[in-house]
Amino acid sequence: MKILVCIKQVPDMESKFKVDESGTWYAKTDLAWRMNEYDEYAVEQAVQLKEQCKEGDITVLCIGSDQVKETMKKSLAMGCDRGAHIKDDEASGKEPFEIAGVIAEFAKDKDFELIFTGMQSQDRGSGQVGILVGEMLGIPSVSTVVEFSYEGGTLDLKRELEGGIKACVKVSSPAVITCQLGLNTPRYPTLPNIMKAKKKELLSIDIGDLLRVEPRQETMKMYFPEKKGGGLVLEGEAADLADQLIKILKEKTGVLA
Amino acid sequence: MEYTREIYWNVGHGVWTLLPMYLLAIFGIGLLVKGFYARVKVYQQGQPLVRWDQPWKRLKLMLQNVLLQKKVSRVIWPGLLHGLFFWGFGLLVIGTTLIVLQADFTDLFFDVKFLTGTFYKLFSIVLDVAGLVCMVMLGGLLVRRYFFAPAGLETKSDDSIMHGLLFAILITGFLIEGARMAATEMGTPLAPWSPIGLLVAKAVIPMGDGGVLALHKVTWWFHFLLVIGFFILIPLTKFRHILTTSANYFFADLGPKGKLVTLDLEDEDAESFGVSTIQDMTWKDIFDTDSCTLCMRCQDRCPAFATDKPLSPMKLISQLGEVAFNTPDSRLIDIIGKDVLWACTTCRACQEICPASIEHVNKIVDLRRAMVLMEGEFPGEEVMAAMEATEVNGNPLGVGYAERGDWIAGLGIKTLAEDPEVDILFFVGCYGSFDKRNIAVAKSFVKLCQAAGVKVGILGKEEKCCGEPMRKMGNEYLYQTLASENVETIKGYGVQKIVTTCPHCFNTLEKDYRDLGLEMEIVSYVVFLEQLIVEGRLRIQAEDISCTYHDSCYLGRHNDIYEAPRKLIEAAGGQLVEMERNRDEAFCCSAGGGRILAEENIGERINIRRVQMAAGTGTDVLISNCPFCLTMFEDGVKGAELEGVMKPRDIAEILAERIV
Repeated sequence: MKILVCIKQVPDMESKFKVDESGTWYAKTDLAWRMNEYDEYAVEQAVQLKEQCKEGDITVLCIGSDQVKETMKKSLAMGCDRGAHIKDDEASGKEPFEIAGVIAEFAKDKDFELIFTGMQSQDRGSGQVGILVGEMLGIPSVSTVVEFSYEGGTLDLKRELEGGIKACVKVSSPAVITCQLGLNTPRYPTLPNIMKAKKKELLSIDIGDLLRVEPRQETMKMYFPEKKGGGLVLEGEAADLADQLIKILKEKTGVLA
Repeated sequence: MEYTREIYWNVGHGVWTLLPMYLLAIFGIGLLVKGFYARVKVYQQGQPLVRWDQPWKRLKLMLQNVLLQKKVSRVIWPGLLHGLFFWGFGLLVIGTTLIVLQADFTDLFFDVKFLTGTFYKLFSIVLDVAGLVCMVMLGGLLVRRYFFAPAGLETKSDDSIMHGLLFAILITGFLIEGARMAATEMGTPLAPWSPIGLLVAKAVIPMGDGGVLALHKVTWWFHFLLVIGFFILIPLTKFRHILTTSANYFFADLGPKGKLVTLDLEDEDAESFGVSTIQDMTWKDIFDTDSCTLCMRCQDRCPAFATDKPLSPMKLISQLGEVAFNTPDSRLIDIIGKDVLWACTTCRACQEICPASIEHVNKIVDLRRAMVLMEGEFPGEEVMAAMEATEVNGNPLGVGYAERGDWIAGLGIKTLAEDPEVDILFFVGCYGSFDKRNIAVAKSFVKLCQAAGVKVGILGKEEKCCGEPMRKMGNEYLYQTLASENVETIKGYGVQKIVTTCPHCFNTLEKDYRDLGLEMEIVSYVVFLEQLIVEGRLRIQAEDISCTYHDSCYLGRHNDIYEAPRKLIEAAGGQLVEMERNRDEAFCCSAGGGRILAEENIGERINIRRVQMAAGTGTDVLISNCPFCLTMFEDGVKGAELEGVMKPRDIAEILAERIV
């Protein structure tokens, strides 16, 4: 079984973000990088599936500068078999349609039975790439998957919907699965697997060879939300609270005037 | 008259005595050797390790501990009983050897008798008293074990065999002496030189001449057979500790104290890392299990055991021994249990007190290494998350790495990247850099340095976690990644001296980083500050404070720094009331061994227990010297409902408030 996992390298969300000079993306200084959280679930699910089937070949694909190879190594250490690094120093400027186009172009003649990816990236958060890949390849895609089982080409899935509701979906492979929090607990790579990962094949392909689609959207501006007045929580005894409230209403509003 | 006696009196000195006697002796010693040979085979399952370098130093250590019973006597009552018994029995063995030496060697071949005159008188009285001391001490130990056993003391058939046999040897010895004296020494000036023997002699006289002679002869052979039995039983029972524990002093780890072996992670041929089976341990690890006498001192001091966690260092060592001898192919983690291994705080209380020089902590870390490096296992998801956070941001708290140096804003110090010309590099550590409570400590330390005119620099965002909690949790790979980056960064600046406010950083830089090429001087802030005060560079205005002091495990037991912090407290005007468990017997705060990263969800909370001990001193302030301890105590005073009663402070905070 051939499996493709698409991952993205994103900044750690604890970093202090600044808007870059162009004003359309975040500045890349002082950021720590890691694998997109949802893509970790995708890697884990692919590896679990391979373990279940006791055979399989997992290709992990990542678009970005040479820096993303570090993140790719983690997925190789988790159990992916080979890497396809789509080299693009301008990846953050590509919109989801272009990213999906590149992935579809890479995957179109490779007979992947399943394509896993995260349901969205932690930085751009469009949530479109996986579904667009399915559409471009003409295969079904199932998003926000939180439960996964596979038996002889048939997938039994649960999708997370709004308000705590889940949807059960049955679909035949080939298909694209986008993974949501709760699907699994990504493994911590063992040392022998980290060592093996260093020797695994890591193909490098230039973005120019795979980018065949035109962008359809453009980021106009990136900015921090405007700071508005925050809420205020009063604490203490009821009588005291009432006094405080009256004082605030008097000082800041006209309702008691 | 001449003060001496006829050796082999009544039993004869002919071939019908000597032949069976020496054949039996050879037989007994042969079985002893055979018994140990079989055990050596078991030790040899382990990996090689050189523990015979510096032989004179090792010999000295061994003699101190065997002859002076240095470690045994650290626990006063059982130690005293054991020590006196050891000396008594040792004298009896020497005495018996002298008899054999004279009768069957010097007298036989050279007509030289030395057991005569004044020497014989002394010989008699010394052996007589030694025998009595042995009886009394053995009796004391017996009463302790069988009537007033401390909770948890395990008594096995070995113990009854040992007590029974030793008593039998001693009693028959006195009977032989008494019977001989009854027949030959009554009324002579020699008799009072064996007062106990004389009492026995008086007791057996009523048996008449024939009875006494028969008693002597029969008891003599019986005593002899018992001694042969003793030889045979040495390798088969806990008697083996006479040899194994003594040898273990020779094979002891000569330090640096608690330094772990740096694994070669680039070894292409290595199929496994850490310890999964007994064959992955070193021979010394297996030998340790054979040196254990189940004295329970480790268990009595283990903070995990004391708070109902499944770990007992003693049981762990026993289990390893059982595996080595009985089921050497078992997976150790299955036998020992994961929760047992994760419970250790690496506080070293077990190892420090062990009278057999057993090394517990490295075994636990080695077993953890196999769990982490081979299975990707951790005690909980929170620990895995902390590991991943450290991989990404270089700290287990998960804060963005770029903010690491933000705390120095407005303090008037810089990072080495901005100004590398400094007197000391302050290696701040993760808690001092990111944790609000501990930032206050880091700031206090900087103020103290500034007051003393010491120019401080930090690495800021170039600093990473020293890797200690990860390493102790078994994640050697992450530790080495962090450590090599730190070493490279530090070396790049050519600093001469590094000071730490975290004992975990201190221990790691001072010992573990040496394997990775860090060479400059590393000093703990308590030692550094004390030096500044001694030199008159730092002036502190003493102001009374009622306090107790907690020795962190990593300044205390791991590095023997006990006096410098106490002197600092004294300089600050501290009215120090010690907790019962202080210095090398201090009770851990719960956060060592990487446990700072883990939830404590089994048993009672260790930090609460320690805070209660501190409150028991009736003082107001609990002074410590470690960011992990401080974090745990801040949490502990809440848990113990002692907020406002007991205030946890770091030593640097106390001093910084008293700068002149």
